[in-house]
Amino acid sequence: MSSFDHYAKRPHEHGHSHGHDHGHDAHAPAGEEPGGPPSEYEIMSRAMQELMEARGLVTAEQIQRRIELFDEEFPYRGGRVVARAWTDPAFKHRLLADGRAACLEMGIELEAERLIAVENTPEVHNVIVCTLCSCYPRALLGMPPTWYKSRNYRSRVVFEPRAVLREFGTTLPDSVIVRVHDSNADMRYVVVPMRPKGTEGWSEERLAGILTRDTLVGVTVPKAG
Amino acid sequence: MTTPSHPHGPHDIGGEPAGPIDTTDHGMQFWEKQANALRGALTLAGIVKTDELRRAAESLPEYGRLAYFEITTSALRTLLLEKGLMTEAELEAKMDEIRRRFNVPDEMESPVKQKGKR
Amino acid sequence: MRNEGARSTYTPAPGHRFNVGDRVKVKRLFPPGHRRTPAYIRGKRGEIERICGAFPNPEELAYGFDGEPRKILYRVRFAQRHVWPEYRGPERDVIEMEIFEHWLEPDGQPGAP
Repeated sequence: MSSFDHYAKRPHEHGHSHGHDHGHDAHAPAGEEPGGPPSEYEIMSRAMQELMEARGLVTAEQIQRRIELFDEEFPYRGGRVVARAWTDPAFKHRLLADGRAACLEMGIELEAERLIAVENTPEVHNVIVCTLCSCYPRALLGMPPTWYKSRNYRSRVVFEPRAVLREFGTTLPDSVIVRVHDSNADMRYVVVPMRPKGTEGWSEERLAGILTRDTLVGVTVPKAG
Repeated sequence: MTTPSHPHGPHDIGGEPAGPIDTTDHGMQFWEKQANALRGALTLAGIVKTDELRRAAESLPEYGRLAYFEITTSALRTLLLEKGLMTEAELEAKMDEIRRRFNVPDEMESPVKQKGKR
Repeated sequence: MRNEGARSTYTPAPGHRFNVGDRVKVKRLFPPGHRRTPAYIRGKRGEIERICGAFPNPEELAYGFDGEPRKILYRVRFAQRHVWPEYRGPERDVIEMEIFEHWLEPDGQPGAP
């Protein structure tokens, strides 16, 4: 069963020479399997699953299908959508106006009611958080990374976003406004980064390769490499 | 920073001082993927609501000490008990059965068993 | 920072009290129970960035009710320096989030609705 290895499947390989801030989101985080016995919570979760299956409220197939969607489908969508926005200005306008409808154009049906795409410009840099829990556009980006769900990210990015961005290797001049979005209700968010120089003439597929998950949350910026 | 004197839940942490961020994505263990899928399937089927899961998570006395999927698992437990979709006894029995499958010693600390003993 | 033509879709919000650009204040209340208004923003002043539409009330959904009647949801923009007394970043930095209408009141400053 593949874990979060979607970067390994991308045609544009990220090498170690591209710098530290590119490295930590360019490598597949293998699910960390401890060698020891299952924890109480693992046992509890499996127990609830089996009880609910026995009651007919969910099926093993539904669970399996959902695991597959998160492993094989959801993580790839965000890069494709934003790559299209980069190459098609009219699509980008529609994406910024109605994120969910624009995704539907590409055959991508999101589970959230609303998607708000926020655009990075030379004047504004966007970064996303959910301080209250870990709301995230899962059907567009897959599962949120462990740092997004962490206490330290959730508590600090709202009051010291620039310091947090520096921890990800991203430094912004004071002339750029930092715009933090706390997704606390029914909207979900994705960042449309600025298209870097050096990507002229690239195919959508190649562009999607540099639109990593971290760039779509706003903690890093894409590089042409 | 937040005004500490005003009451708010253990989840409402925006603005609280905290340490450096571990910027590596540690991914998910297989059981966590299953737990995530279970939650999604039950939500899509309308059996639990996302808002109920959040409320149950926020109400956990041990919220601050738990990791993410421990929180979501405990919250789901709360709701399934609340809705009468399982009993504590059923859960405990099933967990014992699973422990036997994994050959896990019965003496391991179990918050569920401890609650059952009170 | 107006995204002209880039207002995200919203369902109609008939009878919405506030309009884009209105200055508002988040109520300084700390009720128990499930709330989606973060504690750090209560009592803070901002402006309406967009009207998101009408949604079932999460404060009711959380306890098994149907969340009707729907409540109107806004995106509200706040200057970081008005949210955090010790904010050290540039004064134009902002934070935005979704706030339900029942959590908002007109800002008492001149020019408020």
